Amino acid sequence: MAQKGVSYAKWGYIFSIPFVVTFLIFSLYPTLYTVVIGFTDLRGLGKTAFKFLSDPFENYKLILANVTFKQSLANTAIIWVMNFIPQITLALLLTAWFTTRRFRVKAQGAFKVLIYMPNIITAATIAILFNSLFGYPKGPVNDLLIRLGILDAPTNFHLQKWTSRGVVAFIQFWMWYGNSMIVLIAGVLGIDITLFEAAEIDGANGTQIFFRITLPRLKTIVLYVLVTSMIGGLQMFDIPRLYLLGGPDNATLTSSVFIYNQAFSGSYLYNRASAASMIVFLIIVVLSVALFFIMRDKDEAKARKRERQLKRRGGAV
Amino acid sequence: MKRTMRIMLMMLLVATLAVSLFAAGKSEEAKPARKVINLWSFTDEVPKMIEKYKALHPEFDYEVKTTIIATTDGAYQPALDQALAGGGDNAPDMYCAEAAFVLKYTQGDAAHFAAPYKDLGINVDAKLKEADIAPYTVDIGTNGSGDLVGLGYQATGGAFIYRRSIAKAVWGTDDPAFVTSKVGPGWDKFFAAAEDLARKGYPIISGDGDIWHAIEGSSPQGWIVDDKLFIDPTREAFLDIAKMMLEKGYTNDTQDWTDAWFADMKDAGARKAFGFFGPAWLINYVMAGNSGGDKPGEGTYGDWAVCEPPVGFFWGGTWVLANNKSPVKEAVGKIIEWITLDSSNTGLQYYWANGTLDGPGGTKDTVASGTVMQKSDGTLPFLGGQNMFDVFVPAGAFATGKNKTQYDETINIYWRDQVRNYSAGLKTKAQAIADFKRMVADNLALDV
Amino acid sequence: MKSIKASTITMKTVIYVVCIFLSLLSIFPFYVMVMNATRSTYQIQQSSVALLPGKSLLNNWKILNGKSFNPWVGFVNSMIISCGATVCAVYFSSLTAYALVAYTWRLRDAFFSFIMAVLMIPAQISGIGFYQFMYRIGWTNSLLPLILPSIAAPAMVFFMRQYLKATLSLDIVASARIDGSGEFRTFNQIILPIMKPAIATQAIFTFVASWNNLFIPLILLTRQEKYTMPIMVSLLRGDIYKTEYGSVYLGLTLTVLPLFVMYFILSKYIIAGVALGALKE
Repeated sequence: MAQKGVSYAKWGYIFSIPFVVTFLIFSLYPTLYTVVIGFTDLRGLGKTAFKFLSDPFENYKLILANVTFKQSLANTAIIWVMNFIPQITLALLLTAWFTTRRFRVKAQGAFKVLIYMPNIITAATIAILFNSLFGYPKGPVNDLLIRLGILDAPTNFHLQKWTSRGVVAFIQFWMWYGNSMIVLIAGVLGIDITLFEAAEIDGANGTQIFFRITLPRLKTIVLYVLVTSMIGGLQMFDIPRLYLLGGPDNATLTSSVFIYNQAFSGSYLYNRASAASMIVFLIIVVLSVALFFIMRDKDEAKARKRERQLKRRGGAV
Repeated sequence: MKRTMRIMLMMLLVATLAVSLFAAGKSEEAKPARKVINLWSFTDEVPKMIEKYKALHPEFDYEVKTTIIATTDGAYQPALDQALAGGGDNAPDMYCAEAAFVLKYTQGDAAHFAAPYKDLGINVDAKLKEADIAPYTVDIGTNGSGDLVGLGYQATGGAFIYRRSIAKAVWGTDDPAFVTSKVGPGWDKFFAAAEDLARKGYPIISGDGDIWHAIEGSSPQGWIVDDKLFIDPTREAFLDIAKMMLEKGYTNDTQDWTDAWFADMKDAGARKAFGFFGPAWLINYVMAGNSGGDKPGEGTYGDWAVCEPPVGFFWGGTWVLANNKSPVKEAVGKIIEWITLDSSNTGLQYYWANGTLDGPGGTKDTVASGTVMQKSDGTLPFLGGQNMFDVFVPAGAFATGKNKTQYDETINIYWRDQVRNYSAGLKTKAQAIADFKRMVADNLALDV
Repeated sequence: MKSIKASTITMKTVIYVVCIFLSLLSIFPFYVMVMNATRSTYQIQQSSVALLPGKSLLNNWKILNGKSFNPWVGFVNSMIISCGATVCAVYFSSLTAYALVAYTWRLRDAFFSFIMAVLMIPAQISGIGFYQFMYRIGWTNSLLPLILPSIAAPAMVFFMRQYLKATLSLDIVASARIDGSGEFRTFNQIILPIMKPAIATQAIFTFVASWNNLFIPLILLTRQEKYTMPIMVSLLRGDIYKTEYGSVYLGLTLTVLPLFVMYFILSKYIIAGVALGALKE
């Protein structure tokens, strides 16, 4: 579709320059470094010289065959699902409650502030705290459960795989659901208020307003929350590492902790760590593309398709 | 389009120019003769020592720039490694390494950065003899070519620390010599003593971690033999020992460094634990404060004593090293000698042993020099007036440093994780060992 | 009418109960942290979670101050880095997002895909490459390498783009052009105000992340006068047997306080119940 008059397209380029330049200066070297090293034999401390491997994908093959790596991928997926479903449900629920004018929830501001709080604390502090909370044989949770009669003897929460995963998932959920909620609320605040007013005049109740007006217009923001939660979840690092160092028996070992261990747990296998990073990266890319595809704006997609067909048939460029 | 392209290219050029100017600029700085010593440490122990040194030697006019990065979050080593590899004016002249990773810096991948003590102007052999330094710290600090590159100032040879009142209740006496003969030498006697105690309702130790350090430290060989993972039989026995002790009630099933473990130091655990394995720092820095009091009679304070352990071991410690590319080696050598080898009454070790570094009444500690300990006063009210040096001097001789590798920190984490799983009955022994080997192979790329 | 009112009331009760529960759950660690800041190391080692305060606050403060660093300097450094990073990130991300939404240009979709790809690179390894690079060009002990990289913030660009796509009507831009406003001026004076909730939200997140960031500053800033607050708190942790936990918690509490303040300042933009509908103007 031709635009009349001056093309403003060049401003798109100009406004993007700061991002590109900054990226080139600060992130290009580290990123290239990561990609290239995955194909070499660089390992060990303080070495800078490396040779390219005769079989360039040797590191990749080793990583894909690595049982611990596969375990870490499974753990990451499990913990992420356990964390994300409650998180998005609760975030959407709270967003609905707080933005439905009919409910007029008082002290809304205070609630929002408090619910976001966990995001401010550093992961290290939380990990230590929860480690102590679930301590064995003496710890606050154990003591409480015994006093309530739910348990007869203290359980070692740190030794059971599923309780450890549950705790890690809970911590992630607890740290981030406020964050998701705030993002969604910010999105709702961008929706034109006249739409809500018109709907109320028409007699729509809270649920109808939320599902028919708020949610569709929130789609782009929800996509953001989904994608960033997925990326963040797949890169879960601080809590799994600091809580139980990936234990017990690798039950909470996530892919990022695995990569970190390859690079730093004594053998400095930088090349394998890089290869693993690239594999995880590819997985994230595939999942994100899938997510974008599922959530795409179907009307826009159809319009673009028609545009392309027109162009191909020799329409005006 | 063309104009925008040109603008973009220009900006890229500017950016590249800026970066290269930076790089160029840094390497062209003039270098006057340096009177600065760069010290890297992970606690403020060594920096405080150097302050004392400068107070004692006012003619020492070097400025000491200290970089302290704690070892928690694993941030110390990457930064230190980077600084050593980077070189230049900001590279460390003197740096510290903890027992958990010291081998990397004395014998392993980072050993080529360390300067032999003899290159620092120290008469190594003579000084070692004069100070009667515990052999294990020399072993750890000796590099592959046989040169001494690092020494510790603390002695961390371990002993068995037990409760006097419980000993009296079970055997009628709390005399250290008697208890020594009851719990050792050797593990068989230890378990017999454990049986005695368990019958009267006392676990002999708090958790499996307490006994692990003793077992780890006393095994003839380390985790790596001939470039392959090797599970020494004494260490492999730990699997069954841990399980047996748990089943027979010889422990309170705590994990070291958790709330419950500390609680056992003041009788707040499920049952009263009889003893702990550890070096002097465990007594002075951990147990004293956690005993529920600070005078004899309060909590368990004053109710403890030390005796020789069933097997010799060491746990922890800090080694001091020098950078072999340092331009101020002589100055660094003077400091290092004062810290690690000076056995006179104005050497660091004398102050450290008697707790007089910051004035009287400080915390006492065992030191690497046997000579110093012989002439120091190690009596502690916490131990009911016992002189801890009487036990720790021979304990230092038992410990060996020949069974350590640079991968120990990681391998021990995996090993203890598997042992805990096995002793809790969550997997079979064969499975535990197989999983352990796999973890080592997967994460450290070692042959198993 | 009555049944609607009754259901609203039950709904509201449910909401209040849930929100109060969640709020308590959220405050809990802060409460424990503050309590621990008043207890001694040994008390904390015995039981990490306590509901009642201890008596060691002054003692912990003395230990915190007795270390060789100056907490005030750390506060100033953290402030400079975090404010700088936030401003850079917010402004330039909005600019880049605007470029992605308001204009049609050939490389636009490819560029967006590129930004998303950058977002997906796992952070651990690029962290190593980053600080090795900084060491190589000698740019350590400066606060700039901690501020400037945030000009390129892929996650924020992504969010701003999604936000603009949902809320921006290109008619505004067209009418501004007719009024004779240059593109840059349009962005600064018309678009940015529209994005206030988005900006406030992302500003908080960036500020918090930058303030709490420990690993890279720890490795790049080795001189005492450049230390940030999280670095200072980590210095309180020595060997495992020498950590002064009471002071650590006090340090952590002090580190978190400025975040509270910043959050309260920015949160009114999120709490505001008024949507910023753009068409009406």
